[in-house]
Amino acid sequence: MQRATCKQIVFIIFLLIPVSQTLAQESTVYATVVATRGFIVGAKNPETGLFSQRPSDDTTWQHTGSKNTRAFGFAVHTPARGQLIYIAAGNGLHKTADGGKNWKITTGWEITEALWVSIDPKDPQTVYTATAYGIYNTSDGGATWKQMNTGLTSAFTSSVIVDHVNSNMIYCSTEGGVFGSKDGARSWTKLGLRVANVRVMAQNPRDNQMLAAGTENNGIYISRDGGNVWSKNEAGLDHATFYTIVFDPNHPEIMYAGGYVTGVYKSIDGGRSWKRNQEGLTNLNIHSIVVDPANSNRVYAGTMWGGIFRSDDGGATWRQAGLSGSQIWTISIQPF
Amino acid sequence: MIKFVNFCILFMGLFSQTLFAQTVSRADYLKGYEQRAAHVTSFYDTTRNANYYSAAAKYAHNVNVAQADSMVLVLLQKPSGDMFWMFPVIGAYLHGKDKMSPEVKAAMRQAWKTYAPYRGDTENHWCMYYASLFLATEQWPNLPGSEWYNGKSSDENREEAKAYLIHWIKTTTTIGQGEFDSPDYLPEYAVPMIFLAQFAQDAEMKERGAMMADYLLADFAAEHLAGQYIGGFSRIYQPAVYKPLLSPGSAFAYLYFNTGDPSQTGWILFPALSNYRLPEIIYDIATDRSQSYIHKERKRVRNVIRFGSEKNPPVYKYTYMTKDYGLGSLHGGILQPIQQHTWSVRFTSGKPYITIFGLHPYWSGTELGMFFPEEIKTMIADVVASKGTYNKEDKWTGSSPYERTFQHKNTLLVLYDITSGTTAEHIDGFFPKNLEQRVVDASGWIFCKAGDTYAGWYPLQESEWKEEEENWRLRSHQLQNGYVIEVRSQAEIGSFENFQTKLRSHLPKAQMQPNAVSVDYTTLDGEKMYFAFPEVRQLDGKPVDLTKYKLFEGPFLNAEIGSEKLTMTYKNKRRVLDFKKLTIEE
Repeated sequence: MQRATCKQIVFIIFLLIPVSQTLAQESTVYATVVATRGFIVGAKNPETGLFSQRPSDDTTWQHTGSKNTRAFGFAVHTPARGQLIYIAAGNGLHKTADGGKNWKITTGWEITEALWVSIDPKDPQTVYTATAYGIYNTSDGGATWKQMNTGLTSAFTSSVIVDHVNSNMIYCSTEGGVFGSKDGARSWTKLGLRVANVRVMAQNPRDNQMLAAGTENNGIYISRDGGNVWSKNEAGLDHATFYTIVFDPNHPEIMYAGGYVTGVYKSIDGGRSWKRNQEGLTNLNIHSIVVDPANSNRVYAGTMWGGIFRSDDGGATWRQAGLSGSQIWTISIQPF
Repeated sequence: MIKFVNFCILFMGLFSQTLFAQTVSRADYLKGYEQRAAHVTSFYDTTRNANYYSAAAKYAHNVNVAQADSMVLVLLQKPSGDMFWMFPVIGAYLHGKDKMSPEVKAAMRQAWKTYAPYRGDTENHWCMYYASLFLATEQWPNLPGSEWYNGKSSDENREEAKAYLIHWIKTTTTIGQGEFDSPDYLPEYAVPMIFLAQFAQDAEMKERGAMMADYLLADFAAEHLAGQYIGGFSRIYQPAVYKPLLSPGSAFAYLYFNTGDPSQTGWILFPALSNYRLPEIIYDIATDRSQSYIHKERKRVRNVIRFGSEKNPPVYKYTYMTKDYGLGSLHGGILQPIQQHTWSVRFTSGKPYITIFGLHPYWSGTELGMFFPEEIKTMIADVVASKGTYNKEDKWTGSSPYERTFQHKNTLLVLYDITSGTTAEHIDGFFPKNLEQRVVDASGWIFCKAGDTYAGWYPLQESEWKEEEENWRLRSHQLQNGYVIEVRSQAEIGSFENFQTKLRSHLPKAQMQPNAVSVDYTTLDGEKMYFAFPEVRQLDGKPVDLTKYKLFEGPFLNAEIGSEKLTMTYKNKRRVLDFKKLTIEE
């Protein structure tokens, strides 16, 4: 380098510019608002449904789709860069295939109270939804849906995830515990967790055998063998009801969890111990958390009635980030 | 001689029918109906208040059409209200499409493209949503999904709406309505059906609408008394729970039964504008109280999505009707969240709004979680935002898992076995202040009188009185608890003094231990009732099997479970609604 000429230095800088632009490229944050305070079906309510923003938008969010829907879960098909999105809502599965310009409710009257939706990452025509009446799936992009409850002992399901290695392997959380399917939800088997009222499941993005489950009143359980054996991880947990558990996509040993009056818990040892962070959180009922894949220090938390909070220091401190007064069910950050 | 006897019997039969028949001829009824309908609609013809109801009336009667056009254009600029927007908008359109300006027509069409009403989360929401959507798709057929708020084509929307409505009708006529017998929510079902009856182009849906309007109004008629709905209800609001005429159902009683109060709801406008006419037999059933009768029904619990093994457990409903009062009850437990009214007696005599009832004012996230998918720990706050009394210890509506009833004619036993630590560790009784007498007797009975009707309430545990603005509250803090209710009229038992004297010698024997709550009681009519919480009921030593209840069972209405058929009977009249065949037999 010492012998490098000025021309060579300029050339190197020129080469690095596109790289740095790529690194600095902003993500897109999506969030669903189920309701705003005082929401009543049939009343003049503030906007609900799907919102999005760039992190640089700070507290400003843009709405897309139906403005008057109790929207619970949603799924963005990452390879399609925001063109293909499904929303799981009280009135069925909403779909856009053009980035939100046009939406269609793909389900009929039979499917209602849809709480979660997952797109098969290898086949975006295949989609699963968890509803109050069980699991439904489509294999034709939402043209037709089938109920897939064989083997489920409880139809009340709250989350469904597609294994990121083997997309025939599906997991769901139910009132009756955790269930797994090896055949794309055609049949279900109860997994080893002997706890009822499981509210949410998550899978380690680097290790598909590691699963986490958040429960109503029974804390957090973790399995490291695909759901056969589960251990309860209580170190540092002072709460029992958890609605969300997530892994840092860049450092999966880092996990976050939240639930009823919990604030945000963080684990840096793969869920073996937890520490509670709530500085700046003015609402401790946490229903969703997400870590920005482009910046692991940037974490968002969706609250029940307090809108969205954001941390830029890995969850140590928080500040309000918009949608104040809203009940946020799900948040996702996409790398585009 | 035999012929003469036969003639006499036939003559006496006809004579007796004449004696008890309604004095109103069909012609006179219809004349009165038109007057009442005109009374309802006249306000909307002239009012300048901008809403779809007044626009619909103006279009229907071809008066002030320009004013209606202006109203609608302004209203459509900011649509809101979901299904409560859909039905008056399509109602206004159907009454006005041949009179409104092209600009208004275009704005109407545009609204169904750009405003996305939510489908809601209750049976009444869905009924309004799909009936309105069905009619809208008939008005705007063959449009692609890009022309509708939900991205579905006219055909897709119409097929979905039709499929749901057929499903709802089949469910209702086989295992009963879930949001049943609600004095407040009757209009949310009756109006969509009356819309279909008047406006559906699909002949079968038109017939289904007319038949279901008959069905719902017949259901009301059998438990109607002087403008009031009688019995246990799935849903009712305060203050209608203690001021019975203050419910929208009362306006339907006005229009169709010539009782009630027309001012209770704007909902009544669309029925008053419609060409649907109540069948004569339903009016007869609603108004002839010359004979007391027992009326039983089976309904269903709304969809249980968790914390239960059965999606739609049965609801058993028992009502005793007389010309002076009606005593009715649901069998108890959580049958509907938030606004259940498990039992009451309502009077016709005395001052208005005489009703007596009791409850355990329970609430819980688990109860809400049985029926709604949101988080159970935060749902109470969600519900309280719109139903403010839900988590109040003094509330007057609601279900409780710790409450059960056993009714036989005009006697009712109510028991509670409340788990310690639950919400509201007490039970309450409602006694209106406008009772003429409320006497706490040394025997333990509380004697009440209003007009010619008397009620006795025997608390099975120590209770205390609290005076409130509208009523006296009888509160008891014992967790194992209950009471006996006896109701009689002067026609049945003579004087109030006689009622008291007789009851003093009819004292219940109760056992009040946790998991062992029971009562033995011999009624004023000498029938022995035994009731052990939760489900042991015996009458004169024989088990009472609620599972044998039919969908409807009584002198006027009868329907078997699963039959999709309702038979109405009144003297020599009969009307059979057969939803399988889609026929009406008379």
